[in-house]
Amino acid sequence: MAEEILMHLEQVSKQYPMGDVVVDALMEAALEIYSGELLVIAGPSGSGKSTMLNLLGGMDQPTSGRLFFGDQELSSASEQQLTQYRRLQVGFVFQFYNLIPDLTAEENIALAAQLVSDPLPVEDALQQVGLLERAHHFPAQLSGGEQQRIAIARAVVKKPRLLLCDEPTGALDYQTGKSILGLLEKVNREMKSTVIIVTHNTAITNMAQRVVRMRSGRIAEIFRNEEPWPPERIEW
Amino acid sequence: MGILNRRLFRLISNSRGQFIALSLVVTMGILIYISMTTAYYNLSQAQQDFYQKTRFADYYFQVVKAPLSVANQIQALPGVMKAEGRIQTDLTFIKKNGGRGTLRLTSYNLPMSGEMNQLVLQKGRMFSSDNAQGIEVLVDPQFAKANGLEQGGTIQVIAGGKELPLQVVGSAASPEFIYLMKDSASLLPDPENFGVIMMSYSAAERILNMQGQVNQVIVQLNPGTREEEIKGAGQDLLHSYGNLAAYPRSKQLSDAVVKAELDGLKVSAKFLPFLFLLIAAGIQFMLLGRMIRAQRTSIGIMKALGYSNWTVISHYLSYALAVCLVGAIAGCFLGVGLASVISQVYALYFNLPGEIGGFNPSVIIYSILISLSVGTTAGLLACRAVIRIQPAEAMRNQAPVKGGAVWLEKLTILWQAFNSSWRMSLRSMIRNRTRLAVTVLGVIGTVVLLVIAAFSNDAVDYMMTRHFLLENRYDYLVQFTTPIRQSELFYWQQWPELRGMEPVLDVPVAVTAQEQSGAGQKEENDVLQGLQLREQMTGVFDEEGGPLEIPEEGVLLNQKTAKKLGVQVGDSIWVETRLNTGPTHRWELRVVGVNQPLMGGGSYVSLKTANRLLGESGLVSRLLVKVEPGQGEAFSARLKDMTNVSSIVSRAEEKAGYEKMMESNVFSIGLMIVFAGILGMAIVYNASLMNFNERQRELASLRVLGYTRREVSLLLFKETGVQALLGIIIGLPLGRWISKAYVASASTDFYSIPFIIYPRTYALAALGAAVFAVAGYLLILPRLGKIDMAAALKNTD
Repeated sequence: MAEEILMHLEQVSKQYPMGDVVVDALMEAALEIYSGELLVIAGPSGSGKSTMLNLLGGMDQPTSGRLFFGDQELSSASEQQLTQYRRLQVGFVFQFYNLIPDLTAEENIALAAQLVSDPLPVEDALQQVGLLERAHHFPAQLSGGEQQRIAIARAVVKKPRLLLCDEPTGALDYQTGKSILGLLEKVNREMKSTVIIVTHNTAITNMAQRVVRMRSGRIAEIFRNEEPWPPERIEW
Repeated sequence: MGILNRRLFRLISNSRGQFIALSLVVTMGILIYISMTTAYYNLSQAQQDFYQKTRFADYYFQVVKAPLSVANQIQALPGVMKAEGRIQTDLTFIKKNGGRGTLRLTSYNLPMSGEMNQLVLQKGRMFSSDNAQGIEVLVDPQFAKANGLEQGGTIQVIAGGKELPLQVVGSAASPEFIYLMKDSASLLPDPENFGVIMMSYSAAERILNMQGQVNQVIVQLNPGTREEEIKGAGQDLLHSYGNLAAYPRSKQLSDAVVKAELDGLKVSAKFLPFLFLLIAAGIQFMLLGRMIRAQRTSIGIMKALGYSNWTVISHYLSYALAVCLVGAIAGCFLGVGLASVISQVYALYFNLPGEIGGFNPSVIIYSILISLSVGTTAGLLACRAVIRIQPAEAMRNQAPVKGGAVWLEKLTILWQAFNSSWRMSLRSMIRNRTRLAVTVLGVIGTVVLLVIAAFSNDAVDYMMTRHFLLENRYDYLVQFTTPIRQSELFYWQQWPELRGMEPVLDVPVAVTAQEQSGAGQKEENDVLQGLQLREQMTGVFDEEGGPLEIPEEGVLLNQKTAKKLGVQVGDSIWVETRLNTGPTHRWELRVVGVNQPLMGGGSYVSLKTANRLLGESGLVSRLLVKVEPGQGEAFSARLKDMTNVSSIVSRAEEKAGYEKMMESNVFSIGLMIVFAGILGMAIVYNASLMNFNERQRELASLRVLGYTRREVSLLLFKETGVQALLGIIIGLPLGRWISKAYVASASTDFYSIPFIIYPRTYALAALGAAVFAVAGYLLILPRLGKIDMAAALKNTD
């Protein structure tokens, strides 16, 4: 089938100055990301996957090469345009959740919802992640898994076209981690969002439709899983 | 300690903005402490030295005329160490432009050795007692300067009904003329129109035709003598010479004004530094507290390595001490500088011989000690947290950021009105109570300083308005040497430049509440001003500021006199005339109203009543005049040759003179505004920066979510805004209260500043504080642009 291209990278490189040396964090990456797919970017630490995530999420800009979201060139976008991009198109899920400690679960979600003109109702988002009854709890009163679910709800409430997840299970125990992966798979399936999971955990690649393997700042291989596993089957 | 010291410098360098802001607050505190304390010390020392050196008299008796020998009789009274007779009287002088002014002639015995109220020569030489060429006088330096009098110049005075030239041989200072005002009803010194001339007794008795006579006896008391005793005994003794007044040194105008200034300085020297150092301590407490929280892991590592609690505490304490030391040193330099500026201002207003300057090492040592103890206290309080940090736990994990409901949420209806960003700010604020308290305190301080700064301006403006627009509405005030007949003014009415005139008869009196005067009887000196009924050129007001009409019968008694004697409207008072010519008269008057003039005393009766008190009719001692526009010069010219005119006061000139004098106020107001600005900006900058640092992760998350920089900055500003608002709300009434307390502390019952704050001042103070708060906040904005979203989210520390 002809897949719609959501994003594409043309020879994207990123260098960071670090003290006196320049680190090549990402080198000549070329990649197409399709609308509605579940993509896993895997690699050990230092492989450039976080840099890739920052670039895809509009938090950073490449040193060279071009990066597009649809027709919009992010690599030449202004700071304001990038903010608008993050605001309207991207949902983020982090390893350490990054919920606002001073807001309840519901308020954390509402904080994201109020940024867009047509968000999901906050209750629906809570329902989706199965935490409706925890709506009035503060992050400090929630378990890690629960906090991550709220973070996912916060990300999806904007109905983003792209959901970026940075080591979403990294701070969680095995069972909880698997349930989070299940939730992400559900979001991908039901909401038709493009979901990108960045992880060092190779087991997770089994649930992806496509996998990007990274090594030493380069894309080492890209392959398609003809039959992605349901998350319950994954073990690590 | 080498490494830890290196780390300390790094800590300071990494937080240099906060370090500088904090040091500045300390600097302000020390600067004010040093300058005010030094100024107080210098002024009070200069005054004490001067009083002692010149043997400033303790008590004063004023009579109509008495033989020189009464001084010996007074000296024989128990409790009196020394008594001297002298002549003191006001003379008219004719200015170079033909205008008139008043000179207070004071006589001195030569050679001056053990005498009281001795003169200290400032310029030129001492007058001689007899000189064939003419009469030699010394003048006060301000008068000389204002009238362009040089040594060798002459002043034309009117004495004994004729013009007389006096030779100026120099200028001198005297303990009774440190601050020169004509009387307590004057607003400010007016050296162009009023001054002091000093001459030998022999010259004075000659030109005033008072051979062998005096009209004042000045007294030095034995230590422990009660003033009331000497007053009764002295007045009994002087009764037959016509008692005019008897008063102690403290009721001497110059002494009262200097005392009020000293009291004001004393209060400022304590209160203002206290405010700054308290706030500095508060900021240090929270800054170190935050630093220790943020560096929990590092502290854990230091402890695990084997550093003792005390070593770690002293490491952080050193930060506070460094702030205080830097602030104290800068404050010392600036303070010494400001002290010398204040001394120069004093030199302008006060006739004190020599420099009112000087460097006071003990004040400097004190201020450094005070500063360091503030740092130590705040530092130790904050560093207590170090003891509670357990190394193993601290290294394992960052203390979880607390989040939870706050009390405000119990007010459900109110809480629901806030959107989520407001809820964030409110929760953060309520949870960080110390920061809230310190910031609000800082803004309160800013508002209070602004109110105090502007208040003195309001008081002056009010005094000017009331004095020049409400109480005195004439164009010219013409004072006669001795009262004249109203009929003599008949031909004045023919003058075309005159638009109107109102005669006044002033009758100095002693007032008592009972019929019989005698020992133990309270007696107050006052002046009854006899005014025409339905007069237009003088405003008389009651205690609430409502206008009073001159009554046909009875008296509008001065509020101070009424209070002292304990009389009220409807009571009777007895007045005894104290005019320095003619017999004394005693009358009963009914109090029909109580008046409160802006400055000084003064009671009001009708012109008819005033005349009746003297057994006269149609007498006038001064004239209030309105002239046709532009005809002032012509009018003054008419009076040029009249020897019985003692002074002509032009209200417009007087007003211009005062306005010029008040210009020096701009400096002190400006300085206060600078202090307020630094305080407000420093506190808000520090608090906002701390808030920013603590919430950096949160703010980064918001940026990642797609919040714009503007939205994030507004969110952060909400907290600052609420704190500033709280500070302003509390600061305004507090500023009012402190200004009131300040006025009370710097007032004697004889001389006081009115307590007036215009509504506009509150608005300006609130606006000023808001501007400073926003400015302090804006200083952190560049950081918002530099939030590293990726790093902030990765990093859990």
